[in-house]
Amino acid sequence: MIRCIDVHKSYVKNKETIAGVSFDIEDGMIFGLLGPNGAGKTTLMQMVATLMKPTSGTILIDGMTADRNLLEIHRNIGFLTTEIKLDPLSTPDRLFSFFAELYDIPKTEIAKRRQESFGRFGIEPFADKRIVELSTGMKQKVSIAISLIHNPKFIIFDEPTNGLDILTSKQVLDYLKELRSSGHAILLSTHIFSLAESLCDRIAVLIDGRIAAAGTVNELIDLTGAKTFEEAFFKLYMDNHKE
Amino acid sequence: MNRGTRAIIKSFFANRRHLGQKVPIAIFWTSVMFIIAVTCVFISWVTWWFPYEIFSDEVYNIVVVNPPDSFIEYNEYTQLYRDAKAKNFGSLDDYRNNWRNITFFEYNYDGYGASKFIYKKTDALYDFVTFGKWMRENDAYLTVVFPADFEEQTASGDSDADGTDVLTYYRTNSNEYTAMKDDFINIYLQGYQNYIRESRGITTADSVESETTYEALSLSDGDNSDNSFIGIMAKGFVPLIIFIAILYSAMSAGTNVIAGQKENGTFTGILMTPVSRRSIVIGNATGVTLKALIPSLTIAAAALCIPYFTSISGIIMTMLFIASLSLLIASITIVISVINDTVVSAQTAFLPVFLILVAVCVTCIQNYSGNTGIYLYMPVYGQFYGIGNALTKEINIPQAVCCILSTSALSAAMLRISESLLSRERFTVSIDSAAKEIKRAATGGKPSIIERIDKTYGKVSVLIDQLFYPLIVLSVFQLLAVVPVIVSYMRKAEYSQFISNLRNVSSVTEIMSKAFEVIGIFMSNPLFLSLMSVGYALIILTYAFRAYRRAKTISFRQAFSRLGLPLDRPSESLAGYLKGAVLGLCMMGSVYLILILSGQIRFTGFGVKDSLLGTFAVNLIMWIPQGASEEVMFRGFMIPQISTQYKRGVAVFLSSLLFALFHSLNAGFSPLAAINLFIIALLFALIYIKTGNIWMTCAVHTVWNLAQGNLFGLEVSGTDSGASLLHTSYISGAKAIATGGQFGPEGGLAVTFVVLVALAAVTISLVRSGRAVTG
Repeated sequence: MIRCIDVHKSYVKNKETIAGVSFDIEDGMIFGLLGPNGAGKTTLMQMVATLMKPTSGTILIDGMTADRNLLEIHRNIGFLTTEIKLDPLSTPDRLFSFFAELYDIPKTEIAKRRQESFGRFGIEPFADKRIVELSTGMKQKVSIAISLIHNPKFIIFDEPTNGLDILTSKQVLDYLKELRSSGHAILLSTHIFSLAESLCDRIAVLIDGRIAAAGTVNELIDLTGAKTFEEAFFKLYMDNHKE
Repeated sequence: MNRGTRAIIKSFFANRRHLGQKVPIAIFWTSVMFIIAVTCVFISWVTWWFPYEIFSDEVYNIVVVNPPDSFIEYNEYTQLYRDAKAKNFGSLDDYRNNWRNITFFEYNYDGYGASKFIYKKTDALYDFVTFGKWMRENDAYLTVVFPADFEEQTASGDSDADGTDVLTYYRTNSNEYTAMKDDFINIYLQGYQNYIRESRGITTADSVESETTYEALSLSDGDNSDNSFIGIMAKGFVPLIIFIAILYSAMSAGTNVIAGQKENGTFTGILMTPVSRRSIVIGNATGVTLKALIPSLTIAAAALCIPYFTSISGIIMTMLFIASLSLLIASITIVISVINDTVVSAQTAFLPVFLILVAVCVTCIQNYSGNTGIYLYMPVYGQFYGIGNALTKEINIPQAVCCILSTSALSAAMLRISESLLSRERFTVSIDSAAKEIKRAATGGKPSIIERIDKTYGKVSVLIDQLFYPLIVLSVFQLLAVVPVIVSYMRKAEYSQFISNLRNVSSVTEIMSKAFEVIGIFMSNPLFLSLMSVGYALIILTYAFRAYRRAKTISFRQAFSRLGLPLDRPSESLAGYLKGAVLGLCMMGSVYLILILSGQIRFTGFGVKDSLLGTFAVNLIMWIPQGASEEVMFRGFMIPQISTQYKRGVAVFLSSLLFALFHSLNAGFSPLAAINLFIIALLFALIYIKTGNIWMTCAVHTVWNLAQGNLFGLEVSGTDSGASLLHTSYISGAKAIATGGQFGPEGGLAVTFVVLVALAAVTISLVRSGRAVTG
């Protein structure tokens, strides 16, 4: 379970990028962060992933905080973002073994996991190619395979389908659903309504560093009195965005 | 050591397939050639059978006119005496290594190069013209003319060697010859006169005195181990090379890891793994240390193979010193790498460290035999002295322990700092696009100060990069090429002469002229020139490698087209090159004609002296990579680089400015020279833009310098190239504004005129072909 309690973050004085955000993500749930560019989605996700420290507030991951149990959190969390890239001069194969060792996966199990995840995403034929030679979609898939190498309980996914073609995004989304059913807690950010609508169990609309509203798709539609989810979002945006 | 740390260390030695096949091979073979050249120098120091004369252009011959029979006898006698002395040293090898124990004249007389007496007979005792001819023919520096009754006069005691009876003529163009002439008269002729008196049974006080003169003139201080060649090599050269190897390999490995990983976005992934920050720091530091150890231990092993250096304790101590130094340098690079976000900024930040460490090396070399006191126990200094002492088997255990302990403590502190820096957001999270947008929103849509600084930084840093990169690359290779030359120069008699002359220097101007004298010696040294030719080729390879690394997706062959040297259309390139050669020859020919016709210079002769043939030949080859490397540095690579931040016209202007600035350190530089170099650079840049590659300008550059220096015998940008086909001298009333004075024609109006004409022609053709200069 991921729990954020009144999280604040400011890069510059008197300007809060994240201004008091609280939410809970239960195991076996996909939690969506929806918001326009610059709303603070990435900042929030980086804080959950322990890459940044909140200015104030607490983030608990299974009751652990980054200050005390950083490495234990890292063992249980997988962070996927377009900001994380792969060494362009290395190969998927070499990167897989490198990260497997960093995650301290038993040697006997490395080959098994490699076969499983390379097989799932069809990376096998490209295993010995340099990363620069791969297509964007293949890079993204290698990135996912490597970020989830340790089978983390919590997955933080920034814009999962960014830059992917339809086939690849379906593959990725199916995988996410599969992970949900096996009890993983997933936090993902997106600005694509259909994706949020079809995939997320709960959605938080983040505007100017605050959660404008949170709930299931239907709850949000009811709350704003709109007809569609898209309309609900725009209503929330107009009400909450300060000029 | 946990598994994560081991994985990080292992990643340093992963087979980096991307390097391609051609880079290592090209660099390997050029390095092999370089190493062979340096090895030849080494061999020439330690073995007597090496034909050192090949590398020597010294002239020690003496023309002796009307030698009395006894003089020829005495000459044979001294040869025997010298051989006997050589036997005392054990072998000719030892004898040469101990040249400091041999008197100055004796050394020159018997020294490297084919020095000998050339006997001539004539009745005309004052025929200067003939003497001059003989001197030129035989490469002699001195002519000695004996009067017919020299023996009788000496025997009767009324002759004075440097008086009126013996006439000497010597070349006046170097202090060295003056000193040698004095030595010849004071030592050799005195000895000869004593020999005559002795052979006739006349004993005078002089004969005793002359014996002691030999000893008194010995330059040795009695401490041979430190002043000997072996001492210089062990305590200066070998540690220096080891230091440079460590610095370079640590810098390239260290800046590529954390800063490089931040730059390409892979660092966040590593931070997300359950590997502690401490393990990351230790893993990377160990990896960098090991990478730095490979070349330095190889060099040390090679040095230890030389019999003089081999000893078990020496090997252990050397390895310990190298390991501790590598650890320290690796720790420093890790701190720098953590602080910086890109490889280039990390390398720029490493530059001051590099310069400081090189300065340390220089101070160490300067007083390697002196009392070094506290420095012995300090990091870096301690390693430099320690390696030197270990090689010469002066093992000082307390010094080694203190030095290694202090180094380890400093390294540990550095690593601790890196670790604590890594727990700060500032040094771990790259400012991503979202954060940037937030900042922009905070400032109301206008670019923030930081962004403006960023933009200015980009504009300034590209210029700084383009100014310093050639400077660094050039000085590295020039340093490597000059080291063997300096060391071989230090072994020669001129060196001690030079040093003793330095004591009498009183003004800055004199120091400058002394420095240029030394540069002149190097520039006409075929060894230096051939090493530099390889060096220039290596500069081009370095640039190609940089372009290759930066572009990442191209092959090494394609990287050359990024330098303006496309390899895909050889016949077209060759045609361009030949066209350029013709253009260069025409331009320099016109300059020469203008200077001749305006009566500023005079044609005085034709042909290259035999002794300078080597220099001449090497010069001819040297100009080819020299011209090409400057074109790569200032045109092919620099203009596209500056164009990324500025408009192309501005890039052309700035690159030309940097070109002129770059040459401002040369001798005799003047404002007019600056203007000339600027417009020459402008001309080359326009040709580059017109042709789209630098094949043609490479040829113009090469032939321009070649024709100037080795065809017409003029100075090239302040450097006298020594050997030339035509001989030219300035008339007494020559005006510096036309001829350029000491800087050569490039500092004069004749060049300005010719280049402006060419510039106009190229501009017209550019405009006609419709390709705007700025675009």
